[in-house]
Amino acid sequence: MRVWLYLGIAVCLAGIGAVLHGAMPSSLRGKIVQSANPEDGKVIDGVFVSDYFNLSYRLPDGWTEGLAGPPPSQSGYYVLGTWAPKRDFAGTILVVAQDMFFAPEPSDDVKNVVAEFRQVMSAVDGMTIDREPAPVTVGGHPGYRIDFSGVGLFRSMFAIEIRCHVVTFNLTSRDLESLASLAHSLDDLASVRKEEISDPVPECLKDYASENIVSRVEPDAVGAKAASIPVRMILATDGSVKHVHVIRASATQRRNIEEAVRQWKFKSYVKGGRPVEVETGVMFNLKPTNM
Amino acid sequence: MNANAVTANTAGRGQNNNSGGASSRAPTDPGVRGGDPGAGGALPGLNDVERQYFDVAKDVFQEVDAGPDGLGPRFNLDSCSGCHSQPTIGGTSPATNPQVAVATLMGAKNVVPSFITANGPVREARFVRNRDGSPDGGVHSLFVITGRSDAPGCNIAQPNFAAELARNNVVFRIPTPVFGLGLVENVSDGALEASLAANAQQKRALGISGRFNRNGNDGTIARFGWKAQNKSLLLFSGEAYNVEMGITNELFQNERDSDPACQFKVTPNDSTPLVSENTASPAASFQNDIDLFAAFMRFSAPPTPASSAATPVAQASGALNATAGQTTGAAAGTSTASSPTSTASSPTSATSGSASTTSDAASTAPSTASTASSPASTVVASATADVSSVITAAAGSSTAQPSSSASSGASVTRGNQVFSNVGCQACHTKTFTTEKSPLTGQSNVTLQPFSDFAVHEMGTGLADGVSQGSANGNEFRTAPLWGVGQRIFFLHDGRTKDLHEAIQQHASRGSEANAVINNYNLLSRDDKQALINYLRSL
Repeated sequence: MRVWLYLGIAVCLAGIGAVLHGAMPSSLRGKIVQSANPEDGKVIDGVFVSDYFNLSYRLPDGWTEGLAGPPPSQSGYYVLGTWAPKRDFAGTILVVAQDMFFAPEPSDDVKNVVAEFRQVMSAVDGMTIDREPAPVTVGGHPGYRIDFSGVGLFRSMFAIEIRCHVVTFNLTSRDLESLASLAHSLDDLASVRKEEISDPVPECLKDYASENIVSRVEPDAVGAKAASIPVRMILATDGSVKHVHVIRASATQRRNIEEAVRQWKFKSYVKGGRPVEVETGVMFNLKPTNM
Repeated sequence: MNANAVTANTAGRGQNNNSGGASSRAPTDPGVRGGDPGAGGALPGLNDVERQYFDVAKDVFQEVDAGPDGLGPRFNLDSCSGCHSQPTIGGTSPATNPQVAVATLMGAKNVVPSFITANGPVREARFVRNRDGSPDGGVHSLFVITGRSDAPGCNIAQPNFAAELARNNVVFRIPTPVFGLGLVENVSDGALEASLAANAQQKRALGISGRFNRNGNDGTIARFGWKAQNKSLLLFSGEAYNVEMGITNELFQNERDSDPACQFKVTPNDSTPLVSENTASPAASFQNDIDLFAAFMRFSAPPTPASSAATPVAQASGALNATAGQTTGAAAGTSTASSPTSTASSPTSATSGSASTTSDAASTAPSTASTASSPASTVVASATADVSSVITAAAGSSTAQPSSSASSGASVTRGNQVFSNVGCQACHTKTFTTEKSPLTGQSNVTLQPFSDFAVHEMGTGLADGVSQGSANGNEFRTAPLWGVGQRIFFLHDGRTKDLHEAIQQHASRGSEANAVINNYNLLSRDDKQALINYLRSL
């Protein structure tokens, strides 16, 4: 069960002075559950909140949720939100996240992700790079920004890394002034204060499962279809599996994997002389039963 | 689930579709362009033996079958080319639907279902669920041979489509063009995988992922059909022969309705001849029909785009400067499209934290959404080969200034830029290269199908609720766009004749295309029009 909490955000930025605490519906205040999944973010009373990414963002005045995006992909790609003006459709914000455990061609950090993006966009006929990739800080997270434009569309991408995901805010507008305003609105992006969090954020370790597993139960394969199924898991300090997140699978595959993985045991991960929780990933490659 | 696609589909659309976009007036689809499709004939470069084989295969593809040939007892049409005929043999649904006439041909007593109309698309019907609620997804043939003079004694009935429509349980598919599919068949899995991974960063900035529908037996990529459900052209042929025409064959040997009173030929109805059939091609004389159907597709040349200067386009004012083909779009108003005002100042820094001006740019390196082709590769069809000039990007943001459609060539060229800039090419991948081929001159050939052959989540608006292979009810293969300029009906169920509307239909709750369609809707009307004109040049 997830209980939503929105606590006061201690981030006040020049010219804005926004304090998120005042923006949070009081009915939502409770204990943050760190086992929330990336796709669980929601817009409530005009504020996008994500427990998993520990982020909150007040949508620009007059903006609302657009069409929901697709479900998480087999490569751990999420559309977290699409936002647009309620009336004059003059721009959009698209927020996505890529799980770096399962990215098709994982880059080692957000800087390289943006550099690759810059290369791709500069090769598009008619596209201009208006602002070269440059370091920024968004919501307390270091990242990179790039601006580009073409065929009457002006765009910015802000990319930050959180919990082994690259989260990008993709801003699009028909003019530079509106784009600048959208970029400015990211000043309201904030993180919930660490001391208010009930559980510490797990240590993010990509290959922990393959190197530190003590016992493993295989899930039953389902049907006559090959399937690659990405699974994230949070390991408790004693090495047991605390939370399983099957990113994309059929209902039966999901159930089988969850049942199997909950029985797995790992070595405890020790950091600074103390056992700490770990978040890691495993790709299940289920073979068809007739192969 | 959207089960009734006869009417314009708005099911599942959110409250913020923004289809009005930058202009309240939609661009005008100039309609089906005229001119030589470049398809319908054999691949260039084939030798005489191969060409003879193709010619016989094409004749067989056009044969009309009847009771003594094994037609039915349940069927949708009586020939391959009846469905695949626009703009020429091997294409897609024609302007006049032959299913209306075949319903009562030779004394048949079929009632034409309400979703089949004389000027509508050729359709097959699938039921989403069985009566007990379990998934169906199969084709339910429209017609039966009952009453036909060549089917005495057969007395089976059509499915009750009216009842299933009332249950919102019927979904449709229209024929896919089969031009150039031998080239597609000969693109390696590795090339498709590399293409899907290429430009991953751009795809991710647009909400796009996609995956392949892999064959359950060997795990390789299936790439034919609306959901990429068919692994090979031979499988495609065998399935269609039985499902669409009711003719059993060596891949699909069993009748879908085995009522003994309705069988008028041995089973399988089509089999490999052991005695020469004395065709103009010695090789074809010992081939069964499905091998020849597959050969027709495999040896078939792809469509070639029109030269940009020769492409009939619609201007922003809505006036057509050519009348080739049929005009499907509603005439637009007469107001002159104005360029949106943009503040041409340098971008303002407005970031939280430090926005360093230190350039950290990676060196510019051309990217490609295709596999590397060798210098010796042969370009079969290039969508831009005839585009004489490219709008030069000036420094700064001047490229963001929309251009006016001063001429068809300029508009089509601009449309090519729009296609890439808004993100269409992220799925509609332009270029691939074939592997070594047993056919003469077909190795290492560059093709431009405008598809990644992956399946993508297309949202509730397009969803048909039918799972095929690993493709779910919301997923469809990226439709190849080569030849789209001469197609009449669009999307998997033929729900629209208008390209602008087809583009809009890509957006709905849960679709990977939403961000791209938002980009399209933010364009000036001139640029939307340029994109439509470009698509009509293909």
